[in-house]
Amino acid sequence: MKLQHYIGGIENLGPVEFQKRVFVTPWEERIFGIHVAMMGLSNHLSESLPKYRIDKVPTTFKSFWTWGHLRTGAEGMNPFDYFKFRYYEKWLGGISGFFVDEGYITQEELDAKTAEYLTDGNVDDGPLPKGGSSKIDKQVIQYLIEGDSPKREIDGKPKFSVGDKVIINDIPPDKHTRLPGHLRGKTGVVSEVYPGAYTYFFPTEDGLGTPMTCYAVAFKPADIWGEALSDPKSTFYADLFETYIAPAS
Amino acid sequence: MSDKKTFKYTADREIYSAAKVRALEALLIEKGIISDKTVDKVLSFFETEMGPFNGAKIVARAWIDADFKKRLLKDATAAIAELKLPAGMAGAEGEHIKVAENTPKVHNVIICTLCSCYPWPTLGLPPYWFKDPTFRARMAREPRAVLKEFGVNIPADVEIKLWDSSAQIRWMVLPERPAGTEGMSEKQLAALLTPEAMMGVAKVAA
Repeated sequence: MKLQHYIGGIENLGPVEFQKRVFVTPWEERIFGIHVAMMGLSNHLSESLPKYRIDKVPTTFKSFWTWGHLRTGAEGMNPFDYFKFRYYEKWLGGISGFFVDEGYITQEELDAKTAEYLTDGNVDDGPLPKGGSSKIDKQVIQYLIEGDSPKREIDGKPKFSVGDKVIINDIPPDKHTRLPGHLRGKTGVVSEVYPGAYTYFFPTEDGLGTPMTCYAVAFKPADIWGEALSDPKSTFYADLFETYIAPAS
Repeated sequence: MSDKKTFKYTADREIYSAAKVRALEALLIEKGIISDKTVDKVLSFFETEMGPFNGAKIVARAWIDADFKKRLLKDATAAIAELKLPAGMAGAEGEHIKVAENTPKVHNVIICTLCSCYPWPTLGLPPYWFKDPTFRARMAREPRAVLKEFGVNIPADVEIKLWDSSAQIRWMVLPERPAGTEGMSEKQLAALLTPEAMMGVAKVAA
């Protein structure tokens, strides 16, 4: 069990900080921009929808990097660390670790360069090196504009229809899942069958990665958390891949 | 493995993170992975092209044009494409968008209990409250109480619908048009909207 998957409904957490900013320090913007660049230069975009001529982009980045990879890292963290670090701190750890593990940079290089910027004092404004082709930037922006659609057409009918009573599978999540923990083993009703089929960035151990129907499933909160802990006049809807759903007898 | 080092928690946490990300960006430029302008171009794209200013225009149009609203609720991606908005309204993290309509009887809230799925083209990047594990945990089960803490009182007879974005649809809320805005132009209406209202954690004030 990975705690990161099971946060829906946790008790005794206290008030939520209603922080409306997207970034709370300037450095967070930079790691966000690096992540977007990695997604926009990822080698899988040569086979995505739309197809990008990623082989023509003059970058030395040759890896497969998507949300799925970032999340796999976050889901693989020590759960107590996961809740200790701020959102973009996890990104910085995961992304810098990826570049080291993939051999683009060494940990020693990163540590030495970090020490240089630390001694500069005003780290956010420390000058960056110059260089790189504008074609890299063009591809990254093009990716933002055109996206990486997971929608596909498949033959065959969806397994479930609106109104069907379903039970959510409890498959071991392995490294990465899109199934929220609080819904495992719970019973709901299909409220919408989304047209077409949806694939995932890569195959997961719990069954994603081939195009399949997605559904909105409606749950009575009392069926998830019990009446005493639920809001009586609310409905919990989750978008779920077909592989996570079974017919309820 | 590098992860033991990368997740170290230091006393001068912010300064260390700032230096480290600057070091990473510098190395990525030196190694030819990104250019010296890539990060700035991404950030400026979100300032001018992909942001909540787009969602505000979509909602304002839906408030003044009932037929557009019908089309928006039926097929948001197609309806949004009718409007004169920046290129990319079906781009990254907005390839497939759906809109949930608030009414006097139903209040919708968008959440992502697994991570931070958010409709980038129409609303830009998620604010911290949306990404906060406490919000994700509590809104899922006790929406009325969390909304009250956020200053939104939802009467007991109004149904709250929570939408957990765990698959490939990105959701936004069509909030109710506030009273007293009858004489306002589309542009004035758009100026009333906030990301919070378009995710269901705020009401629109006239």
